[in-house]
Amino acid sequence: MVEEKATVSTNGQHTILVCRGSGCPGSDEILRRLEEKVTQNGLPVEVKPTGCHGFCQAGPTVIVEPEDVFYCHVSVDDIDEIIQKHLCAHEVVNRLLYIDPVTGQAVPHYSDINFYKKQERVVLRNCGHINPERIDDYLARGGYLSLRKVLFQMTPGQVIEEIKKAGLRGRGGAGFPTAVKWELCRNAPGSPKYMICNADEGDPGAFMDRCILEADPHSVLEGLIIAAYAIGASGGYVYCRAEKPLAIERLKIALRQVKEHGLTGDNILGSGFSLQLDLREGAGAFVCGEETALMMSIEGRRGMPRPRPPFPAQSGLDGKPTIINNVKTLATVPIIIDRGADWYAGIGTEKSKGTVVFALTGKIANSGLVEVPMGTPLSKVIFDIGGGIPRGKRFKAVQTGGPSGGCIPARFMDSPVDYESLTKLGSIMGSGGMVVMDDATCMVDIARFFLNFTQAESCGKCVPCRLGTRQMLEILTRITEGKGRESDIETLLNIAKTVKECSLCGLGQTCPNPVLTTLAYFRDEYEAHIKEKKCPAAVCDALMISPCQHTCPVGINIPKYVAHIAAGEYLEAVETIRERNPFPAICGRICHHPCEGKCRRGELDEPVAIRGLKRFAADWYFEHIGELPEPEPFPQTHSQKVAVVGAGPCGLSCAYFLAQMGYPATVFEALPVGGGMLSVAIPDFRLPREVIQREIDYIAKRGVEIRYSTPIDVNFTVEGLRKNGFEAVFIAAGAQRSQRIGIPGELEDLEGFYYGLRFLRDVKVGKSVRIGRRVAVVGGGNVALDSSRTALRLGADEVSIFYRRSREEMPVTEVEYNEALAEGVQVNFLVSPTRIVSDKWKIAGLQCTHMRLGEPDDSGRRRPVPVSGSEFFADADTVIAAVGQAPDLSFLPPDSALERTRWERLVVDDNRLATNVPGVFAGGDFVFGPGMVVEAIAAGRRGAIAIDKYLKGDTSRVEIYDLKPGIIEEVISREEEETWEPQFRPEISRLPVEERKQSFKETELAFSEERARQEAKRCLRCDLEK
Amino acid sequence: MAKKKIVAQADLARIETVIAEYQNERWALLPLLERIQQEFGFIPPSSIGLIAKGLRLFPAQVQGVITFYAQLYTTPRGKNIVRVCRGTACHVRGGKTILKLVKRHLGIQEGEITPDFEYSLETVACIGCCALAPNMVINRNIYGRMNPKKVALIFGQHGRQ
Repeated sequence: MVEEKATVSTNGQHTILVCRGSGCPGSDEILRRLEEKVTQNGLPVEVKPTGCHGFCQAGPTVIVEPEDVFYCHVSVDDIDEIIQKHLCAHEVVNRLLYIDPVTGQAVPHYSDINFYKKQERVVLRNCGHINPERIDDYLARGGYLSLRKVLFQMTPGQVIEEIKKAGLRGRGGAGFPTAVKWELCRNAPGSPKYMICNADEGDPGAFMDRCILEADPHSVLEGLIIAAYAIGASGGYVYCRAEKPLAIERLKIALRQVKEHGLTGDNILGSGFSLQLDLREGAGAFVCGEETALMMSIEGRRGMPRPRPPFPAQSGLDGKPTIINNVKTLATVPIIIDRGADWYAGIGTEKSKGTVVFALTGKIANSGLVEVPMGTPLSKVIFDIGGGIPRGKRFKAVQTGGPSGGCIPARFMDSPVDYESLTKLGSIMGSGGMVVMDDATCMVDIARFFLNFTQAESCGKCVPCRLGTRQMLEILTRITEGKGRESDIETLLNIAKTVKECSLCGLGQTCPNPVLTTLAYFRDEYEAHIKEKKCPAAVCDALMISPCQHTCPVGINIPKYVAHIAAGEYLEAVETIRERNPFPAICGRICHHPCEGKCRRGELDEPVAIRGLKRFAADWYFEHIGELPEPEPFPQTHSQKVAVVGAGPCGLSCAYFLAQMGYPATVFEALPVGGGMLSVAIPDFRLPREVIQREIDYIAKRGVEIRYSTPIDVNFTVEGLRKNGFEAVFIAAGAQRSQRIGIPGELEDLEGFYYGLRFLRDVKVGKSVRIGRRVAVVGGGNVALDSSRTALRLGADEVSIFYRRSREEMPVTEVEYNEALAEGVQVNFLVSPTRIVSDKWKIAGLQCTHMRLGEPDDSGRRRPVPVSGSEFFADADTVIAAVGQAPDLSFLPPDSALERTRWERLVVDDNRLATNVPGVFAGGDFVFGPGMVVEAIAAGRRGAIAIDKYLKGDTSRVEIYDLKPGIIEEVISREEEETWEPQFRPEISRLPVEERKQSFKETELAFSEERARQEAKRCLRCDLEK
Repeated sequence: MAKKKIVAQADLARIETVIAEYQNERWALLPLLERIQQEFGFIPPSSIGLIAKGLRLFPAQVQGVITFYAQLYTTPRGKNIVRVCRGTACHVRGGKTILKLVKRHLGIQEGEITPDFEYSLETVACIGCCALAPNMVINRNIYGRMNPKKVALIFGQHGRQ
């Protein structure tokens, strides 16, 4: 719904600003068409081309003044509508307005858009408001008045003093005080002196300087002339890299104009001060951004840095005193002169004054140029201005300073942005690139990417840099290809240190930063690549066949089974799934599907509905089971018997894969039913019990023996199993002990008080459970949601969830959450109960406190902290506590030899899942605490592989790779046309809400055959790219 | 073959006039090389001696500068220069895949020219249009927000594939 606030001025002159920055391709044509149409219709409208507005994400952009309406993603075809509707009929064209990514609301006015509203634009003051090719526009906004002031009212010493008082530091990255440098040069003997503007912005991911030069070149030139006056320079250069043709073009125009206006050349404005200003183009050498290399390049030589001192301020270009300043530094100078040092020094922090300009890019909703006061927290830049991470992904890290900078992990998102704070985190301010990364970014790959760049750009003068970058690149490449060695991390650290300490220039001194910071903050990712041959972000091509398969904890060949579905070969699809997962129907319903999060199709429009397809194939199988050949037991090829404790998903998977490998496997289950947590805790409306039973039956038919009602306990111990001829035991007893909330009044005997797990189990086995009218559920996970929805179905009038964090931290899928909400469950975020209030052993309600999100923890999740004085009372007659579960080790006799941790868990080797007792293995929730079902299945499979190795006397690590198929899969031809248009995935149908609330019938319905095949064809077949 | 030679000779004559324009300028080597490249698309190796003589340098100095700067070429380039951006923002948003696909469409590796001299494929460290990432540039046209389908369509339009 568009909130219509925009009023369109019906009389007087309109001005249309059209962005013509490099970031708005196609704007030339828009401009032409607008001019043509305005003339044709004889409208009193001025069409004005401008430079970059900074909001490149929304480009091409058009702003209509005076009403300040902002149109984004404008194409030539939209021009007629803007003319007809806005300029003739005085109505806003709603469909072209900017939609706020957070609120989903259209924002008509330029100045109301968060991206602009929360910035403070000092350096970018003119960008987007003036025509950069007309000096008159700049003059009209007070341009060159500062130069006049300097030339006629101030001595060079006073200029330097003013800049010193303002506290301006070099914006090129190192942050050296500008005035100190100027003073040094002014006092240095030698003549002529030179003033150079360094516009050789070459950091990948940085485009601030380019935008300023394209949008407001005169502010830079004015700053340069003032600086030249201050240091007494008579020669000046602007050194701009050739890769920015538009900036060069505009600079050339601006340089011609200043000459024509007498602002450069001899005797400027009659002041007696002279400056010859010239433009030099770089020719594609990154190192020329380094000041000594830059001067070499201007002199027409190979741009190689030289040692300092002597500093350029003493001996620079041609051996004469020279000052080199960054574009942004110079663009700031005129405004300091104009508004005064005190005003400027009032912005920013104590040591870092003024504002900082960032090029905000990467995985961020609003990319573009951002200017904020120094000291602004990173989180404000990323979330308030940048609009956060798109596509519901998680913020992982931010890279500042380009190849010289480092990656700052999410947990430091509240750090202020200033020179000192960034250095402390191992990064640098640099020229101002800020690349945001989400969980689909591999940090090893990022380090390799930067090294690849610096390795190529190293000029080769210093041996540590030339060879060190090469070595580091080779090691990183090897790691990303799965050929990493254990010693690689140490070697990397060593080389990085040497390169840092032994290189002459900034390039060498800082190029190890990306490696060092990723190693410091994301060492686990390096280890996953080296030890497990896994890329957690599913980026490193060499380690995988397709991102979905690589991300799947059990490694199902997803592209293959999806292709089988597309081809109508459903049995083959199910068999493909069962190679890695014996529970297709269960996972087709309740898997949290991390695969879909990495699906490449998702970058295009929406990820393939992988889970829905799995369910379709599995349901088809069980519907046609009568017509299909009866599953045969796997042939037994080994005689060693293996026992598995617990018939949950982890235990059954382990037994299934052991049977597949030819071992006789027996599962011991305490309950009369199998399925573990699936059977006792997941309500029928999410996972009907027949579905579980059919999958267990299938596993039994493949030769797994399951003994129900046979608990392992003090009488029948794990050690006893060994004595009974089982050569290996796998314990997968799950996590079945409900954790206490740990607040006063939490007494199990209270009437109306339940622990979630127990509550769900009692309902599921058909016990009569008394539920009140107002139910309060404490917690935010699956059990909490399932309990709430179950309570509603049992007739509660009102069900409220109390969760101490926010939606973002809830470990439940979108589907579950939305279903619960639709059914009427109320969720109170950032609320934590402090006491359970009861009256005569009956629940009366919950005493609660509001929470707020505080500092981020190590994982980047913000910790909830109580808001003092915010206590309140919530009425309730039933309280269900669902704040987590833990393994229950009580079945192990106290004298068991199995080693435990302080937290009552078994000590287990992560890789082989082996306990301290040879032949006894353990995995799943029992060891790692409550997790997702597919993770339990993965642990079961790992256990089976480890046991196989153990029984064969193989002591090596378990290595589970995505093996490339030996033969190339038959390509399934895609029938539909390739189009530009996105094709979205079909909605999965559900029972109507009213029907849902009355029964425990399954809420989610399967795809129809036609839909499933259609959907399967959206797969991009990443596996065939190899 | 013969035809090519004639062109080369005519070029040298023209190059000499260009050199003359820069002879008295200070630090003229880089601007001169850029100018020659702008006019001819590359710097003919046979002109290096002339340039050195004109600017009173050693040929090795000229050669050294040419090899140092990535944007100076001594071999001809295709009629259309395709440059795939390999900047950070493009990398994070899948630029690697775009490069792979472009290579496949053109049938050449980076730094190579199609046999018909129609396309040169190059990579560039960053073109500064990071908000549109992943990016590709053909001549002076920027193609932003690339995806596999766009690659197919663009090279379809350019009369290939």
